[in-house]
This record gives sequence, C-alpha cells and structure tokens, in this order.
Amino acid sequence: MLKALIGRELLNNLMTFRFAAVLLITLLLVVVNTAVLIQDYEQRLESYNNAVKMHHQELRNSKTYSTAYLFVDRAPNPLSIFNVGLDKRLGNLTGIYHGFVPTLWDAQMHGTDNPFIAFFSSIDIVFVFEVILSLMGLIFAYDAIAGERERGTLRLVLAQPIRRGQILLAKYISAMACLLVPLILSLLFALLLLTRSIPLSTDDFLRIAGIVFTSFAYLSLFYLIGLLISVATRRTGTALMLAMFVWGFLILVYPNLIRATVNPSADVQERTKTAKNQIQQIVDEYERERKKFLENKSVIGDASQFIEAVSLYTDAHVDSVTLSPYLENMSLISEIPPDFEKYVPIAKKYYSFVEPLATNAADKAWLVQKQALDDIFVRQAVMDRALLKLSPVGIYDAATQAWAGTDLLGLRDFFDATRRYRRVVIDYLYATDAFSSREWFVADKGPVDWSTLPRFTFERRDVGTNAKRALPDLFLLLICNLVLFMGIVLIFIRSEV
Amino acid sequence: MIWHIAKREIYDNLNSLRFALATVLLFGLMLTNAVVHLREHPARMQKYHDASTELLNRLRSRTDLYDLAQLGPEKFHKKPSPLHFCADGGEVFLPDTIYILISRITNDLNTLWYLSYRYQMPNLKNIRPNTIKVDWGFVIGYVLSLIALLFTFDSISGEREQGTLRLTLANSVSRHTVLIGKFLGALVSISVPFTLAVLMNLLVISTSSDVQVGTDAWSRLGIIFFISLLYLCLFLALGLLVSSRVHQSGASLVILLLMWVSFVVFMPSTLASTASGFSSPMTSEEYWERYEQLYAELGDEYNARLQDTRGVPTKRIELRGEYVSKGTERGERLIHEHLAQQHAQIQLARSVTRISPAALIQHLFESFAGTGFEQHQQFVENVQVYAREFREFVTDMDRADPDSRHIIGVREGMSQKPINSEAIPTFEDTLSLSRDFNAAAVDLLLLILFLAVLLSGAYLAFVRVEV
Repeated sequence: MLKALIGRELLNNLMTFRFAAVLLITLLLVVVNTAVLIQDYEQRLESYNNAVKMHHQELRNSKTYSTAYLFVDRAPNPLSIFNVGLDKRLGNLTGIYHGFVPTLWDAQMHGTDNPFIAFFSSIDIVFVFEVILSLMGLIFAYDAIAGERERGTLRLVLAQPIRRGQILLAKYISAMACLLVPLILSLLFALLLLTRSIPLSTDDFLRIAGIVFTSFAYLSLFYLIGLLISVATRRTGTALMLAMFVWGFLILVYPNLIRATVNPSADVQERTKTAKNQIQQIVDEYERERKKFLENKSVIGDASQFIEAVSLYTDAHVDSVTLSPYLENMSLISEIPPDFEKYVPIAKKYYSFVEPLATNAADKAWLVQKQALDDIFVRQAVMDRALLKLSPVGIYDAATQAWAGTDLLGLRDFFDATRRYRRVVIDYLYATDAFSSREWFVADKGPVDWSTLPRFTFERRDVGTNAKRALPDLFLLLICNLVLFMGIVLIFIRSEV
Repeated sequence: MIWHIAKREIYDNLNSLRFALATVLLFGLMLTNAVVHLREHPARMQKYHDASTELLNRLRSRTDLYDLAQLGPEKFHKKPSPLHFCADGGEVFLPDTIYILISRITNDLNTLWYLSYRYQMPNLKNIRPNTIKVDWGFVIGYVLSLIALLFTFDSISGEREQGTLRLTLANSVSRHTVLIGKFLGALVSISVPFTLAVLMNLLVISTSSDVQVGTDAWSRLGIIFFISLLYLCLFLALGLLVSSRVHQSGASLVILLLMWVSFVVFMPSTLASTASGFSSPMTSEEYWERYEQLYAELGDEYNARLQDTRGVPTKRIELRGEYVSKGTERGERLIHEHLAQQHAQIQLARSVTRISPAALIQHLFESFAGTGFEQHQQFVENVQVYAREFREFVTDMDRADPDSRHIIGVREGMSQKPINSEAIPTFEDTLSLSRDFNAAAVDLLLLILFLAVLLSGAYLAFVRVEV
C-alpha cells in the first residue's frame, strides 16, 4: 500500500511545472556560479604561487640573518567553492621571525586584491543551496496535505485501510526523492566543471559527500517545515502565505537581523587595554634588559659608538589592535667601515644576548595574547554564530564550513602551523649558532646560506577532523528533522479531515 | 469604475493573512533600523567631529610656510551622512580617511605632501558571519519586492481559476480598467503599511535630539520614498504580467519566486564578481615596485647633477626645488593611476549589475543617502580640489613676500614670514544634491524604463489573454 502511495505521489510531483522550473533554475544558478567561482579560485591560486615565488626570492636575497624577510603564504582552499567561509576574507600572508608570534589577526593579504572588491558579497554553492533548496522544500510541501484536504481526496485516501502516519511517510519519501534530483544533478554538473580544472583528493571527495549529506538534511528540514504548515492550516492559500513569510523571515530577515541586536560591547576595549598593558610590561622588561646590556661598559665599551658602527636599528612596540609585540634588532650595514673589525666580537655578544631575549619575551607575551585575542575577536563571532543557529540557515552554513575547512577552526589550523614553523626556525637558528655568527649582522664573508632552512609546509587536517567539527551541527539538523516529523504526525493524527 | 475595482481589491487584501504578516514584518524591520541608527549614529558623528577638530587645531598651529607646504594637513575625514539608515552602502569596506604621503628622494630630500589613497584590505580581522545591514535599501530592495510579488501572483490567475474573472469581464468593463484597478488596489494596500512603517521610522529617528535631520535631508528622503514607490510598482507590474500569462496561480508563484531569487538575490553578486574578473588593476606588489623604482631613479639623477652645483648655493637650491616638485608630481601621478584603475574595476562591475533592479535601487539609495561608492568618489574629488587650493594658497603666500626666492619645496627658497593661521584653507566634506542627481540619473532612467516595459507587457498580456 505504501508503495502505491509513493508511486502516486512521485508521479504527481514529477509531472508538475514547479519541478521543471526548480530543476532548471537550480542547474542554471549552480553551473553559472561554479564557473565564476572556479575562475576566482584559479586567480587566487595564481596569486598565491606568485607570492610564494616572490617571498622565496626575497629570502634568498637577504644577505644577513638580522635583515631577512621570511614570509609564509596560505594557499586558497579548493573547497571554498562550496562554502567560502573565511577563506577569502582573512589574511593569507604572515611574517615569521623570532621576536614575533604570528597570529591570524596580524596576517596580511598578498595578491591582486583591490580593496574595494570586498564591497561585493561573494556567492558560493552553499549559498545558492541555502536559498534555493529551502524555497524548493516549501513550494513542494505547502499543499501536500492542505491541497488534498481542499480537493477532498484526503477523505478518499483515508477511507482505505491506511494509517495516517503512512500517508505522511509516503509523501515525505516521494517528495524528497523528487527534490534530490535537482540537488544531485546540479552538484554533478558542478563537480564535472570542478574536476576538469582543479585536482581534488579522495579526502576532498569525502568532504564534498559530507556537504551533500548536510544539504540533504537541510532540504528535508525545510520540506518538513512546509509540511507542518500544510497540516496545520485548512486552506492552501493560507498555507502558501505562511510558508512564504516563514521563508522570508528565516532566510532573509533573521540572519541579517542578528547583527543589529548584538551590540559590539564596550568591555572589549577594556580587555584590549588591560592585555596591552600586560604585554607592554613584558616588552618594557625586555627593553630594560637590552639597554642594561648596552650600558655595560666592560662588555660593549662605548654604546653609542657601537650602535653607530653597526648601524643598529631596534624596534620594540606592541600593536594596539592585535596586541602582538614586534621586537626587532637589525644592522643596516651593507659595506664594512674600516674600523669595524673591532666591533665584530661586541656585535656577536650583543646579538647572542639580545635575540634569545626577544624570543623569550615574544613567547611570554603570547601566553597573555592568546587569551586576550580569544576574548576580543573570537567571543563575539562565536556568539553571533550561536544566535544564527536559531535559523536552519545558520546551522547549515556552520556545518558546511566545517566540512570545507573554511571555518575559523580550519583557518586557525594554518596559523597554528605558522607558529610551529616559527619554533622550527628558532631551533634551526640555535642549531646553526646563527645568533652569534658574523652573518647575523654583516655579509662581508659571503651571504647567509638559506638552503638548509626547513621549508614551510601546510597540509589541511584530514577528513576525520572536518567530520568531528561538522557532526554536532549535522546532528542538530537531523534532530530538528526528527522532532518536526514527530510533531507533524501528532498533529495530523489528531486533526479532522 | 477603476476605483470600484481597486476598492474591492483593497478590501480583499486588508482582510488577508498576507496583509497582516507584511505589516508586521515591515514595521518590525523599520523599527529595528531606527533603533540601530539611533544607537550608532551619535557615536559616528562624535568620532568625526573629534578627529576633524583635532586636525584643524594641528593645522592652525603651523606658522612656518615651508612646514605647511611640506607636511600639509596630514589627513582628511569623510563626513558621515545623516541618512545612513537609508543605505549603509558597505561603509565598512570603504576608507573613511584619506592620508597623505611624503616620499623620500634621497637621504636629505623629501617630496611635498601628496594624497595617498592606499588603504588596507578591509575585513582582515573580521571573523563574524557575513550579514547585510538592515537599512532601507534592504527592507525595500529585498522584503518589499517579495511582498509585492506575494500580493499580485494570484490577482489575475487566481480569479481566473475561481471563475470570477469571467463574471467581472461580462460587465461593461474594459480590460485595461480591470488591470489598472487591480494594480492600484495592490499598490494602495501595500503602500499604506509601508508608508506608515516609514513614518514610524522617521518619527523614532527625529524624536532623538542626537540625530539632526536638516531640510536638505528631508528632500533627499522624499526622493528616496518616491523611488521606493517606483520600485514597488515595478514588482507589482511583474506580478501582474506573469499572473495574466500563467493559468494556475501555483505556477505563477513558482515563476515569480524563481525570477525574484535570480534577479534580486543572485544577480547582483554573480554579475559583479564576473565583471570584476574582466579587468585586473595594478597589484600592490607592482605598485611598490614602480614606486621604489621611481624614487631610486630620481635620487640617482639628483645625486649626479648635485656634483655640478658644488660651491654655488643658489644653483643647489634651484636643483633641490626642481627635484622636490618632480618627485611630488610623479609620485602623485603613479598613485592616482593606481586608484583610477581600482575605481574603474569597481565602476565596471557596478554598471553591469544594473540589469538587476535590486542593484539599481541600491545604487539610487546610496546616491541620495550620500553613502557608498559614489559618495566615496565624491569625497576623493573634494579632497583633490582642496589639495589644489592648498597648493595655490602656499604659492600665493610665497609670492606675496618680496624677500622670497619663490622656490617651493626648499626651506631656503621660500618665504620665511610667519603665516596667519586663520587664512589657511580648511577642508570640509560636502554633499550636493544636484551632483547626486546627475550621478543617479542613469539609474533612475533605467528604473523607469524597466517599469514602462513591464507595465506595457502586463497590459498587452492581459488584453490578449483568453479568460
């Protein structure tokens, strides 16, 4: 019996105009947007490759350690085509040196970017699905029960020995089968375009499968919302209006409204101030020690003469937004003054004292900074995200971002890797005794050999990590589905036909 | 007769669920908009006033002409628009300050100040979810247009389904009377709650003493309101067109919704990103390369020619003056080229998006509210005009002193007399309604054209359709 019902419903759904229209528009939007996104991704990839080459060249051109520029770049994530998340927005270039701990908020942007481009919001495949799938679900569901009730066919069906739950189940299964057609077809087209120009790994395909499954849960949730409206109302006209306004509110109004309700709090400023003071103290302490060393006549001799001879440039400041301490010491000499030789041992002593000091100060400041940055930047965003999850759009967006690895955690993985790389570089400097070497400050005996420096590599975390991050939201979607379905069954069983 | 049909429509609508929902939605959004504006605007104005007063004081404290010519006014602040609540215009992505730049030619020779339009990528530290600001542009562009479609999708096809259309047309009523009646009915029944919501919004905003809305702003608001009504008519006409061509109201709704989604939600962004891919402006790496090359060349040239002036101090001063003005001019030209390329890219993308009425209305709102990209360009122009004025002032002051050698850019070559600080020209960012009108003329004409096409389309469709 169930089979017969499903068959009837399937036929009913497939032969409608709305099915054809929805299929067409979904295909069109997904294919067009994918083409645009692929072009954009390739541009970003090219600019990444150029930047890597340029930074490598810059490093090799650095003659001394103290004036070296070591930069690492972040490659664009190919899955940002599905959900761009923070991938395009945040910095993709950060400097590495011992007197500074790189963070997400210090990162800069390399490449062809016109700052005004940020003006146009970027659309990804998930955004297309967010809007279209939800609309599809509601359009297919609003008259499922109310329409049959109006036409009187519901009575006829219920006159048969069928349980009411079965009718709902049949409707749900057949509608979902129909709705999956545009979803799967458009994704296949997108993948076809994608694999032609971007190589994807097995893990990437698994991640895409996760995104597809999440999309399915999202679609089903909106179908059930429509079904609930359809069961609860008497007339299709009313059901339709309710469904449309619910859609407008959940998709259009609510996500944009939360920004207005959450007030950027004043205690962020307070927090920044206290953390800055703490870090400033660490930096001051470093400066005190450094100056004390310079004033020590038995080691340095006349400090001002020494500073002039090696053309010492120092900087020790705390960035007032990102709280990062910048502790720099460098000798800006290209040619050797004739009486320089007597300063070489002093300079060696100076740098081998001061650079480990800077390293330690930056490490110490990091402990304070880490906590403060979370409070200043992250807490607000996490709160926004949580509020956003009151609408299914928010849950769907968060889950797909986690799958694609373009969420905050995914990006933080990269910056964790840069901090690990900073440690590697510091270890390398210690191992090669660079701080106390002549090449640290002058290149008269040949420039620094950078070929033995370990290169920076970054691999995205495996698909298991993505799954772990996405599953809570996915479960939330599934639970919403289940609860809604049970609610619908209850209402339908108790309602009069 | 038209009025009779319109009245029937209005009564039908007033009792319907969609009217109630639309009213609640519009009022809720407009109230939120007003509250947010009241919360944010005073702080914005305060920040602007503090910054510009401090700047003015620093400028006035200069008495030496050379310092004034070299260091200039430091920076320029954009004045926040009082009509920020109408269109936010992506203000977070636009710089609100233009800084100046002084470049080094050689160790002891610097250029005069010139405008530096470079600024950091916005959003680099923003990890909060992407949202559209709830301004009038959002409420009207997205929500009101959706409501217009929901009010008209069944106005012909629904009556046809119920059979009442035959009854109406059996009377001695011409078809266009019916169509106009229906159009007017829908227009009135949406614009009444809309107008009330707008009035409530303005009432809430104008009750606060912190936010001043002047006469100029009121006329701008009037224009914006008029444009919103045009936009509303556009979507009503679209709804009637589809409704009279399609026989089932369900199908008509599906078509309208899909059209709405493509034109309003997707088209502006997709077209903009496609169009901005066509041109690639100078990258910042390229800019810096050219910048460094420029000053390295100038420096070498200067050093080479400096040898000839040994022992002749007047010649030396002349040479320095020459290179200061060369360095300033070339640096200015380079940075201006960079900015012009960036602006051209955005301008192209923006003109392509004009196919979408939602983008049109966004542009129009920005123009008349004095926010957004148009206004930013105007701000840049204002600053450029001021920069010229400032240079002229320096030249005039120098010329007025007979003891000066009239070599601008070198301390020894310029007037040593202290200057009257009151006479220094000051910068004030201004908006002009006529200029905004000119900028918006194309958009406005396009909107009217779309409206005319859709209205005549609806008329033709309804006149020729079988009942």
